[in-house]
Amino acid sequence: MSRPAPLGSGTAARLWHVVRAWPALQQVAFSGMVAYRAEMVIWVLSATLPLVMLALWSAAAADAPIGGWDQLGFTRYFAVNLIVRQLTGAWVVWELNWQIRQGELSPRLLRPMHPLVFNLAETLAALPFRALVLFPLVGVLAVWRPEALFLPSPSVGAAFLLSVAMAFFAAWSVQAAFGMLAFWFEQSMGFWSAWFAVWALCAGYFVPLDLFPAGWVQLVRALPFYSTLGAPIDILLGRVAIGPTLAVQAFWVVALGAGLGLMWRAGVRRYGAVGA
Amino acid sequence: MSARVTGGVRPAVVVALVRASILTAFQYRASFVAEMVVGALSALGMAAPLFLVYARVPQVQGWTLDQALLVTGFFLLYNAFVAGVVEPNLGAVVDGVRTGALDYFLIRPVDAQLLVSFRRVAPAALWELVGGVVILAVALGRLPTPTWAQVGLAAGLFFAGLGATYGLWLAVTCLSFWFVRVDNLRFLLGAITDAGRWPVSVYGRALRLVLTTVIPVGLVSSYPAMALLGRIDAGLVVGAVAAAVGSLVFSRLVLVRALRNYSSASS
Repeated sequence: MSRPAPLGSGTAARLWHVVRAWPALQQVAFSGMVAYRAEMVIWVLSATLPLVMLALWSAAAADAPIGGWDQLGFTRYFAVNLIVRQLTGAWVVWELNWQIRQGELSPRLLRPMHPLVFNLAETLAALPFRALVLFPLVGVLAVWRPEALFLPSPSVGAAFLLSVAMAFFAAWSVQAAFGMLAFWFEQSMGFWSAWFAVWALCAGYFVPLDLFPAGWVQLVRALPFYSTLGAPIDILLGRVAIGPTLAVQAFWVVALGAGLGLMWRAGVRRYGAVGA
Repeated sequence: MSARVTGGVRPAVVVALVRASILTAFQYRASFVAEMVVGALSALGMAAPLFLVYARVPQVQGWTLDQALLVTGFFLLYNAFVAGVVEPNLGAVVDGVRTGALDYFLIRPVDAQLLVSFRRVAPAALWELVGGVVILAVALGRLPTPTWAQVGLAAGLFFAGLGATYGLWLAVTCLSFWFVRVDNLRFLLGAITDAGRWPVSVYGRALRLVLTTVIPVGLVSSYPAMALLGRIDAGLVVGAVAAAVGSLVFSRLVLVRALRNYSSASS
């Protein structure tokens, strides 16, 4: 099957096409989410692992702070962790894997728009649900540990939002790339499980990265994992220099995005070769 | 179609079930090897936070590193049971309710619970089993050797814990008979039971109570470790056995009730 015919010529025309279609895409994706709202809420609630980690670190810091983190610090870290994880979360690895293996990608290839744009619209449409579930969680925190609430300065807040946005695109690109492995492998979700195991440790999901052994901290922060989760948390809590951290994130967003584009081109050619 | 649960429970049936499930599972040998890497990584990932914590502090709420590793080891064994036996089978029940494939099991003259619970195994979970055994062996090697009585008690408590948690999984799965839309409830249960990877004493009083009664994952990881360390008392043992029996009986009743309600997708 041939690749989708571009409408109009040039990148600008195609981009304009996406911009014009975007509200409709969002609406369709959002309606799909509403149909499965109960399931959505359960998926979102299933991301409780940071709280399990908080229990361990909080118990360990009961007598004395650990490496500059007291119980209040850990509470803030894992609460922000929970929030950032929801705002940057996606299901695109499972969606793409399914679409490629079941051939559901074929009709999407016929549409006059890049299929990944649809996936991106679906991910963004889920954000309101994810945010909705966060309110009660933050509310519980406010009652349980009111001293953990804090208001960042406007500049830190702005840097945090920018960092979350970049973390979103970095994390999304990685998920999409692993989903696309289905072009080459029949059972590719094992790769994702392996990535997740490494990611959880190196992204700061399980532990603030500055608690790694001294020589490792700088190295782990330069790897792509950190840019998808830990960076915005540390920026909001004032644990890292903002400028360099944002720069590392920007590098990974560009690098991962470019890699995704290359992978897509190679993958779709292969998809056509199978005769799907 | 009127569904009933009870039927014959003959040893030959159990043997045949186990044989068939293993044969089915090993159709995909290549991915089995690939999953070994995943299993090793997730075992490492589970123990890694402990190493980072204990690099900074000598003990947490009365547990040293080796003692806490016992808990994580038992938790990995439990995880292997869930991922290898519970999840593949009960996940198939949920799908069967939606598609109507469940009918094929209900018409067979064998106990329905037996048939739907032990029909298949996921061999990838074997690696989590291996990871759990390795972690337990390493931790035990560095701790004072437990007596045979303690080992026996730990094993008994572990299996009581497995019974209690299996009952909970079955009961949650049965909810899909009434609410087809929330067929992913068991993933939420999986997320909550992740709390079992640490000793229950790191949690606050209220949460500790929940983890040993309502969601009895503390029974399957912390209690066996406490038995090996000689820290368990008769009251906790009685409580664990009561929880296992109660959970199994309750889930059986829920299943009977659910099947009575089940109208099948085809009629």
